[in-house]
Amino acid sequence: MFSLLRRFLISSWLVAALLLFWWKISANSESYFWPPLGQIATQFKTNWLFANVAEDVVPSLKNLAIGYFIGAPCALVVGAHLGLSEIAQRIFSPLVNFFRSIPGVALVPIFIMLFGIGDESRRVSIAVAVFFPTLIATIEAVRTSDAVLLDVSRSFKFSSFQSLWRVRVPSGAPMISSGLQVSLQVGFIVMIVSEMLGAFRGLGAFTVEAQQSFMIIDMWTGIIMLGILGYIFNVIFELIEKRALRWYRGQKGLTT
Amino acid sequence: MTHPKRTGARLELKDVTKTYTGHGEDKHVLDRINCIVEPGEFLSIVGPSGVGKTTLLRLLTGLTPVTSGEILLDGKRVTSPPEDLAIVLQEYTRSLMPWLTVEKNIELPLKLKKIAKEERRERVQSAILEVGLEGNDSRYPWQLSGGMQQRVAIARALASRPRILVMDEPFASVDAQTRLDLEDLVLKVRDDFGITTLLVTHDMDEAVYLADRVLVLTGKPAHVAAEIAVPLGYPRDQVDTRAHPDFGHLRGEIYQLIRGKR
Repeated sequence: MFSLLRRFLISSWLVAALLLFWWKISANSESYFWPPLGQIATQFKTNWLFANVAEDVVPSLKNLAIGYFIGAPCALVVGAHLGLSEIAQRIFSPLVNFFRSIPGVALVPIFIMLFGIGDESRRVSIAVAVFFPTLIATIEAVRTSDAVLLDVSRSFKFSSFQSLWRVRVPSGAPMISSGLQVSLQVGFIVMIVSEMLGAFRGLGAFTVEAQQSFMIIDMWTGIIMLGILGYIFNVIFELIEKRALRWYRGQKGLTT
Repeated sequence: MTHPKRTGARLELKDVTKTYTGHGEDKHVLDRINCIVEPGEFLSIVGPSGVGKTTLLRLLTGLTPVTSGEILLDGKRVTSPPEDLAIVLQEYTRSLMPWLTVEKNIELPLKLKKIAKEERRERVQSAILEVGLEGNDSRYPWQLSGGMQQRVAIARALASRPRILVMDEPFASVDAQTRLDLEDLVLKVRDDFGITTLLVTHDMDEAVYLADRVLVLTGKPAHVAAEIAVPLGYPRDQVDTRAHPDFGHLRGEIYQLIRGKR
């Protein structure tokens, strides 16, 4: 109990100190672009607790969820099979490397062109951007499976499908998980940017609209909300990962 | 407890030859190895490090194809890992699934063979008892000592009810005391199930202590230097058997074969 409190204090004092600092030095600010944090906080409460949540936050998160849960599983399946075949890897690697070099957000205009400015184009953009980090991690994870483990699988006559999904993928799970995490972060970025480019609602649209109409305090509340959401996603991801990969942490002797 | 006695498989090696081709010059590793292992027999394969023992093991488990000659298991040619064969490898830390508990590790091959749940549970439990792993069902391999992990690997091999068990330096990475315990465990397993057992090792004492017969490989490419029968009788005992004059004599004979040919 005590150590839990200590851990909380260690990881939060800096944030608290910086907030306090921001609060203090902005308190009497007359600058139009740097309003007092107190004002931002008040406006934040009005905007996000919870008046605009249904209108601007929920649709964004829905797009992210749909895009992520289409893009990432596809990447897992495609990556797992590409990882098995050296020839397939050679054929597809120029393509994969070309597309992954394009920042996910740069694809947004293309999908807006193809699918219009509705949610479809945003979901597709997110799914495509999310695809590559997981794909690359999965290929590598499957490709580098332990030879001894594969000998064992063969000696027990596992089919190649069984050894892929029962041996290669689980043993590569730590690497795949890193890919999934990067995908989530990329998906989050694309979610916001896709809304900044011609959406009528959503957090990204809200923030950029506030900025363009000189509602600077609103803009600040949007940015802070984005930060909080991104942070929460990461925390949730790491909690799930910690549980799912308990064996890995245990094997490596990691305690935190 | 009683075990269903099974009959071991008969293994026959006919002029088994292996040459690795590829980068640069060909590497001729094994030259016309001939040997017959009778059902239920315990055969040790010894030789100096790097002689090709592991290559021979990979050939007769069907993991690597022979270059020429043939390997017959109960008269059937081995071209891929046979149904009745199970292996235990030296690297226990790499041969068990670290994401599965002891119980699930042993169960996995049975599950993928679509064996009914009831029977799976029964087989897993009896394998756990056989190797003395009671109470560790839900622990993970990495929570166990090396010797215990190797017991899991043996239990996993036994649960698939093999008629031949092939082990590659299974005790090379465990401490001395554990090693003796595992040796006796392997003898007990052979006794309980009557399965044919092959042990690849570089340890001459271990080879003699465990086996009915020792196959000595030497040379480059490796060939059979001698097949030595071990008339030591059973049960074997870590103190008495090793103190027996014949034990020392056999050990000396093998030592000279290996040293002389190097």
